[in-house]
Amino acid sequence: MNVAEKKPRIIQPDSLIGKRIQKMDAPEKASGRTRYIHDINLSGQLHGKILRSGRIHALIKSIDTSAAKALPGVHVVITAADIPDQRPIGVAKDHFPLKVGRVRSERDEIAAVAAESEEIAEAALKLIKVEYEDLPVIGNPEDAIKPGAPLIHPEPHGADGTHLHLKQGTSIAHKGKPDNIAMRFDYAHGDVVQGEAASDVVVEDTFKLHYVTHCCMGVSGMIAEFDASGNVLMYSNTQVPFLHKREFAEYLNIDPARIRIIQPPIGGGFGSKLDIYPFEVICLYLARAARRPVKMLFTREEEFLASPTRQPVLLTLRSGCKKDGTLTFRQVHTLHDNGAYTSWGATTPFVMMQTFSSLYRVPHCDYHTAAVYTNNPYAGSFRGYGNLQATFAIEQHMDMLAEKIGMDPLEFRIKNAQDAGEVTGQGMSFKSCGFKDCITTAATRSDFSRKFKENAANRNKPGNIRRGIGMASMLHVGGGAKIYPSDGCGTILKMDDFANVTLITGASEIGQGSETVLSQLVCEELGLPISAVTVVNNDTAITPWDVGVHASRTTFIAGNSAIGAAKKAKAKILAVAAKKYEAAESDLDLRGGFVIQAATGEAIVELSKLLRNLHFQDKAELVMTTFYYEPPSVHQDKGFKGDVSAAYAWGTQVVEVEVDTDTGFVKLVKVTGAHDVGRVLNRLGIEGQIEGGVVMGQGYAFTEDLMIENGVMKNPNFRDYKLVTAPEIPEMDIAFIESMDGEGPQGAKGVGEAPAICMAAAAANAIANATGTRMFELPFTPEKVYRALHGQTPKLYWKPWKAE
Amino acid sequence: MTELKHYFAPTSLDQAVECLKDGDVTILAGGTDLTPQSQAGRVKIKHTLMNVRHIPQLSGITLEGREIRIGALATITEIMEHPLVKEHLPVLVEACDHFASDQIRNAGTIGGNICNASPAGDTLIPLLVLNASVELASMPEAKLYRHSMPLSTFFVGPGKTRKSLCELVTCVRIPVPAENHVARFYKHGTRPALDISTISIGVAGTLKDGVMSNVRVAFGAVAPTPVRASQTEQALEGQRLDAATIDKVAAVARDEVKPIDDVRATAWYRKEMIHNITKRILSHVAQA
Amino acid sequence: MSLKHDIEFTLNGVKRRVAVDVTMNTLAMLRDVIGLTGTKYGCGEGECGACTIQVDGASLNSCLMFAVDCDGRNVTTIEGLANDGRADALLDAFVEHGAVQCGFCTPGMVMQADHVLHKHPRPDEACVKRGIEGNLCRCTGYKKIVDAIVAADGA
Repeated sequence: MNVAEKKPRIIQPDSLIGKRIQKMDAPEKASGRTRYIHDINLSGQLHGKILRSGRIHALIKSIDTSAAKALPGVHVVITAADIPDQRPIGVAKDHFPLKVGRVRSERDEIAAVAAESEEIAEAALKLIKVEYEDLPVIGNPEDAIKPGAPLIHPEPHGADGTHLHLKQGTSIAHKGKPDNIAMRFDYAHGDVVQGEAASDVVVEDTFKLHYVTHCCMGVSGMIAEFDASGNVLMYSNTQVPFLHKREFAEYLNIDPARIRIIQPPIGGGFGSKLDIYPFEVICLYLARAARRPVKMLFTREEEFLASPTRQPVLLTLRSGCKKDGTLTFRQVHTLHDNGAYTSWGATTPFVMMQTFSSLYRVPHCDYHTAAVYTNNPYAGSFRGYGNLQATFAIEQHMDMLAEKIGMDPLEFRIKNAQDAGEVTGQGMSFKSCGFKDCITTAATRSDFSRKFKENAANRNKPGNIRRGIGMASMLHVGGGAKIYPSDGCGTILKMDDFANVTLITGASEIGQGSETVLSQLVCEELGLPISAVTVVNNDTAITPWDVGVHASRTTFIAGNSAIGAAKKAKAKILAVAAKKYEAAESDLDLRGGFVIQAATGEAIVELSKLLRNLHFQDKAELVMTTFYYEPPSVHQDKGFKGDVSAAYAWGTQVVEVEVDTDTGFVKLVKVTGAHDVGRVLNRLGIEGQIEGGVVMGQGYAFTEDLMIENGVMKNPNFRDYKLVTAPEIPEMDIAFIESMDGEGPQGAKGVGEAPAICMAAAAANAIANATGTRMFELPFTPEKVYRALHGQTPKLYWKPWKAE
Repeated sequence: MTELKHYFAPTSLDQAVECLKDGDVTILAGGTDLTPQSQAGRVKIKHTLMNVRHIPQLSGITLEGREIRIGALATITEIMEHPLVKEHLPVLVEACDHFASDQIRNAGTIGGNICNASPAGDTLIPLLVLNASVELASMPEAKLYRHSMPLSTFFVGPGKTRKSLCELVTCVRIPVPAENHVARFYKHGTRPALDISTISIGVAGTLKDGVMSNVRVAFGAVAPTPVRASQTEQALEGQRLDAATIDKVAAVARDEVKPIDDVRATAWYRKEMIHNITKRILSHVAQA
Repeated sequence: MSLKHDIEFTLNGVKRRVAVDVTMNTLAMLRDVIGLTGTKYGCGEGECGACTIQVDGASLNSCLMFAVDCDGRNVTTIEGLANDGRADALLDAFVEHGAVQCGFCTPGMVMQADHVLHKHPRPDEACVKRGIEGNLCRCTGYKKIVDAIVAADGA
């Protein structure tokens, strides 16, 4: 020890940023020790199950629960009649958790049971007798907007025709809606008429996007318990605990302060846990009525039937350019299948319009959309949030326009791609922008131009295999999205005697690795190893406020918040050290667990020792800091204009395929991606996000298809709803463009949603390159491709329409 | 919720067929189909659940004379890894390789696959073109009785066979293919395995001097059961495998099948695939 | 009352006796009767592999197996594999290679990977991909899982 003190110890600079950092929760998860909601059981717990209508559109004439109530082991059976204080739920407050008077989709909740076991609860459901009177079904959005179409949400009347006069409220659930239009958006910048007049070439096509769903490997579930004072404890999978706490309180008509949400690790999110769903409120009703904890878990079939979906879209895009390759305008009309009720799916046009208005320079843009009620499953938020659909259309048109003017598609894209410093017609300001780098990097690494020409030349050679290459790019928010009054996140940071950090953050971990990245950012400031950090992020009674996991915001917003708290802690530590060791604060730094001389790296004192000294004195002080980060973004104005995110992420993906013309089977051979992520924080984690997103995009493009016929789901199982399996994945070559965003944590931007966005568009372009045939409708199943190749697919056309 | 009253795990064939006498028995072998079907309530377990796992007479893969005997309890994995099967019945190995997943191959049995009688059953198509027969055991009187029937007459409809409620499948027997035997199997799906066939095709016969004889053709997922395709067989029998023959046979095959539309494909596409894949398989045989 | 049956089997190296409902599957027995929750329910139909266990050395979907059929057999779950040290290299590889995101598929994936490695020492990527074709993962895109399994054998 004395020797060491004589010879100065030099701490070499080190950084965790950009390294391959193991996910902190991985050892527990890999060994099966992690307890998900499914694995948690409370003493005295009952099991809840929901009776669903099975009818598509019908009036409820009567419900008889007497036999179910009489079954031994059944504690509670509830229907809407048992919960007179039900409040409407959902983004548009257009339905009750337990349906009143009418069912509007196959999954509608009629009654619920809490019983001693799942088996008894299921048996009780079978004893509930419901009489219905079937109503005409609206199975697609085109029918929903026809004049005289049956209304999905008419003024509520009972089965006998009398007005129900539901007390209180002016929501759609109470007063109905005189048309089937759930939500509409109209946006414009410039003047498309002028844009079209200036065009040398104009193309117009209709694109059809299908139903897919999240398929989280862990099925939905929750546990609800009321304590003796009526306080609520929920174990929930929500991605948005703080906003939901307030909402749940409203549905229970209690003070939000009485609700505590604990979030056990979740088996996948991808946007699916962004809204409150009927089952959660019903589980609360059951627990309240039973005065016992109630656990509710879906079966996989129920997960398919009663989870949100990505929104199906019918889209007609008209776009033009000049002979020199300058884009002139985009005019877009879309029709969204909202399903029977309104969840976040209805608001995806917010994101779609950003892509239409601002992916490439678009001088004139006109966008009209309506989400309309049907009797289909209702659409929620799903990774990418409308951007997959918009990009599918735009990037096909980019190829088609380039072909019309005889320009190389790569050159055409680069000509129209933006640079840093540009502000789009919608008011998005690109402070960091690696767009062109993404395009050229992906193209170079995949040898795009050579292959593109060769494939086109080889189209008519003998043999049944055709090779194709296609590209697509994307723009997405990468610095949060100011859709709520605040887009912020709070952090509490405390340090113990041993220089360990407890990082208490509002940001939820949903498997994406936020715990690890936030720890890295804190360690970077405090000069500690990652093992020094414990993250607490799953209990609303402890953690500070956050808007929730969405919009690829967690790394950016929670990251900046964590850095803010760490910087305050560092300042405090350095101030103490400076005083104790008679140095200037600015000459000191933290590194390798020591306070050091910044200039030389010479260790002054072990940080843990300094902290112990700080604690063990009569004027003890603790290092505990808080920070709240609010990004410098703004709300959109009434015309949807404004710089809604603090940063924007870019990406380009090049897809290579082999098309078997005998079968229509398309093999996805390789994906080359280049993503502007600002800066790589955890290389292992970000690669995992991109690879997972690419394969999710592959599923959207090729294999996944939730088949709904007149409101009936045909394939609620993994047998016929086909997720991509391991042998099907492509070779992946992923490059990162580090544009070092000035506002981002260590320069990073959000990337969670980005990788799934381009795949379908790039795949369509690759199939066209291989075969000369354009695919306007997803997914590219063998039969669909085979039909298109053999002229068996009528040209899609949806006449542009907008709500009056 | 069930009338199940008895669980029985016999250790001999005699015990098993004795138990089957009253016919009110659900037979459990690998369980890969019965477990989920019964859990979901799609299959009701009868008075007795009989687990045949411990009956030694149902196990093993052996050469008996000029036949390969595959015990009903042989798992798909055992079959595809067995030296006898690899040597003599590579087409069966190929079909097994496309069967579900490793976990299901490790549990699922050939007897179960046959008794399930799925129109798209992966092992059934090669077994049909290999001229397999199925052996059934019962105890009509006090004595064990066994008889065989060709697999081609075994299937009646989806999930329905000619096996009576009192019978147990003990094994399948497959004649060791003669010299110049060729056999091909093709499963059309989007994944290597873990996929219900859109269609599947098996072709087998003797190829000598470019001429096909003793032809057997079978199609999966185009009818209520896996089917032999007699018109296609006739069109191919004794023919030289030239381009004109192949085109003609493929056209006959397309016209012969009467598939339906379902979530996996339309009838039109299935017919197209029967045509295109038959053509492809025969071209490969001709080139080999 | 549903019919019960006593079975005796070896679970993670320990002999045990348990009374199970005859209609119950092995997954439910492990989770609800015995209380080992590392084996996950993903679909109940053998399509996702989250419930993979090993029985007499072969990997199986525990949702496709009657609990009574465990009688007399040797059953290993993720808890057994993770605790006896024999799969340490594999577990470490999953962690090091980033093969875990939400982690829900991971125990089943590890059980299947262990089986693949026993059957095919030093497997190539294609062999591993086929080996885990019955295990669905929604987060990772499989690449890092395949990398981990390939690397585990070289470790």
